[in-house]
Amino acid sequence: MAITGRDAFLGRVRGALGKSPSAPAPDDATHLGLTPDDVRSAADGVRREMSEQADVLLDAVADSAATAGWKVRRVASPEDAADVVAEICYDAGATKILRSDQEVFNAVPVDAALQALGVTPGIATVGQAGTDVPALKQATFDSDVGITGVDYAIAETGTVVLHPRQGLSRLVSLAPGRHIAILTRGDVLPSLDELFTLERADYNEGAIAGSMNLISGPSRTGDIAATIVDGIHGPFEVHLVIIG
Amino acid sequence: MLPTTDRFKKGAKETLADPVIQMSMEAVYNGFHTKRQSAGADTEGWEDQRDRGRAIKEHTIENLDYYLEMLTDNVDANGGNVFFANDSAAATEYILNLASDRDVKTVIKSKSMVSEEMSLAHEMEAVGIEAVETDLGEYIIQLAGEAPYHIIAPAIHKSQDQVAEMFKQTTGIDPGDTPKELTTTARGMLRETFQRADMSVTGVNFAVAESGSIVLVTNEGNGRMCTSIPRVHVAVMGMEKIVPSMQDLGVMLRILIRSATGQRISSYVTMVNGPRRDEEEDGPEEFHLVIVDNGRMKLLADEKLREALYCLRCGACLNACPVYRKVGGHSYGWVYPGPIGAVVSPVLSGLKQASDLPFASSLCGACREVCPVRIDIPNMLLHLRQQVVEGPPEVRSVGRMERLGWKAWRFGNIKSGRFRRGGKLANRLGRPFARGGMFKRLPPPLSGWTRSRDMPLPAASPFRDRFKKRLAQSSQDSQSSEGES
Repeated sequence: MAITGRDAFLGRVRGALGKSPSAPAPDDATHLGLTPDDVRSAADGVRREMSEQADVLLDAVADSAATAGWKVRRVASPEDAADVVAEICYDAGATKILRSDQEVFNAVPVDAALQALGVTPGIATVGQAGTDVPALKQATFDSDVGITGVDYAIAETGTVVLHPRQGLSRLVSLAPGRHIAILTRGDVLPSLDELFTLERADYNEGAIAGSMNLISGPSRTGDIAATIVDGIHGPFEVHLVIIG
Repeated sequence: MLPTTDRFKKGAKETLADPVIQMSMEAVYNGFHTKRQSAGADTEGWEDQRDRGRAIKEHTIENLDYYLEMLTDNVDANGGNVFFANDSAAATEYILNLASDRDVKTVIKSKSMVSEEMSLAHEMEAVGIEAVETDLGEYIIQLAGEAPYHIIAPAIHKSQDQVAEMFKQTTGIDPGDTPKELTTTARGMLRETFQRADMSVTGVNFAVAESGSIVLVTNEGNGRMCTSIPRVHVAVMGMEKIVPSMQDLGVMLRILIRSATGQRISSYVTMVNGPRRDEEEDGPEEFHLVIVDNGRMKLLADEKLREALYCLRCGACLNACPVYRKVGGHSYGWVYPGPIGAVVSPVLSGLKQASDLPFASSLCGACREVCPVRIDIPNMLLHLRQQVVEGPPEVRSVGRMERLGWKAWRFGNIKSGRFRRGGKLANRLGRPFARGGMFKRLPPPLSGWTRSRDMPLPAASPFRDRFKKRLAQSSQDSQSSEGES
């Protein structure tokens, strides 16, 4: 859009550094020296590892997610996952439930399982849960539970990664008091490093989302009397349902 | 924020006498510091990660012009706006104009130390814009009208009773008294504010040059609210907060978060790549990045201080510092307290006024030990001390009396005869006033020394006399023992 005041500012930076405008010599410390081809082949390697090591990574993330504060449930099939989601909603006494419009719900029959309990979940998109962005916002704040899929999970940290996009609102995993995320086999990364390799490859190919959220447990604060309390702004309870 | 850095000694004295604060500060060590130590020990290759983090920062700062240009080209390409601000006044003006132009009524703020430099919330309130801090700790100190006490735990000095009282006055209802109840009360108050906000101001933990992204780290989720709800998102960053590529973020997040709270990761890490995409369901329509100098150029220009710009604002040096833990955050008198504050605040807000800060350290090196990027804070404090004493007149701040005193000291000590006679004289004159070989109190100008410690009475028989005697004795002994054999 616009850049204001740059030339003079950069001139002062160069003055302070005592250097003339020049590109830095390649440096081993950073990854900037990698070419797009390097990044692409590293990303291919990551995807291979995700699939070859899928079971090990799934076990690892089940542990680390529990450490991070997720309530973890492992199930064998998509149908079982839907039942567990319904059970969590039932136990919470939830009457207003929203879910994203992600592919995972084609395989996991969450709607049917909830309808069996007499609740129909809303779809958190403009046009369904809300007529416009403010109405969608209102709907997410009014809901008891938000249900989403998982783009990636990270074994190192117990993290769920979501890229907001069409069908996946930024608020559906944030504004309701409870968030349920459904993870399927093959989507788990070993560590943060692999995540950023994939993101960079996507960026190089012009395929990156407008934002990305790494979610590792409930919303937390320790700001009153240095006591950790769950649920300050976002969900006070987060569930990770793992299929496989 | 207007610096009160000249009040260091007074502030420290008040804090030392405040039992509530002294009690609260225990948590800084027992909580944060202990957790950070075990997080480091539990992380595979922890020392290598720190080295790598330091190397990334060093490379980036040495080529800051190149990376700033790359960053801003890419923010621009992502559909964002960039404003370069030489000082906090320029940054404030840009943001206030933007708010007025977009007809903004309510601004939600996520924790940002740079915006504290600008007193941004205060400036907004002054022109009739509701500006609400949404980090719970920042919200509490905003209600109290105070500055942050700690970089990552701004309200660490407030007891839960004090917080309860403030919430009661704000809401008019009983907010409860446990941390859990009080947090629930704040949740209610702030969720209502989030929903009607039309603009947000956040800080930036890392900006990625290659992709024009910014990264926010929070545990509370207020950073996510700020990047999800309002129409306009403004991110404010000090000019040093850059990493070259996204692939550098793994190591930086790892060392930042483990050093800050001891967690493997915070509850939320958010990466923003410009305004919302057209097809997205929600998110800000506009993204603005404000890049602030506000004195950082002075750190950059001084090769001995440049590495202060590697700082990730994790707060680990505060938690490790025996001085910070006792004198507290407000004594430092500006936005940044603790060891890193003692370096940064004098340079950014004026060394002459802040001349006590470089001396607010025992140089024990605990800060350097815990710093994720190994910033040599003790060395920089020595450099600043030297400037206070020997620097150009605009920074020097040693009084005439002190200079005269040191001249007299030099006169008395430069010749061995003067030194010897002086010691003996001091012993003779001082003996009637000493108790158990110690002076408990000396008259000015030496009273400063004895205010917090005793001064030993010079020995009646100085070491060099005793040594001479011993030497003579032992040569006699050895001669006589030789005679016996």
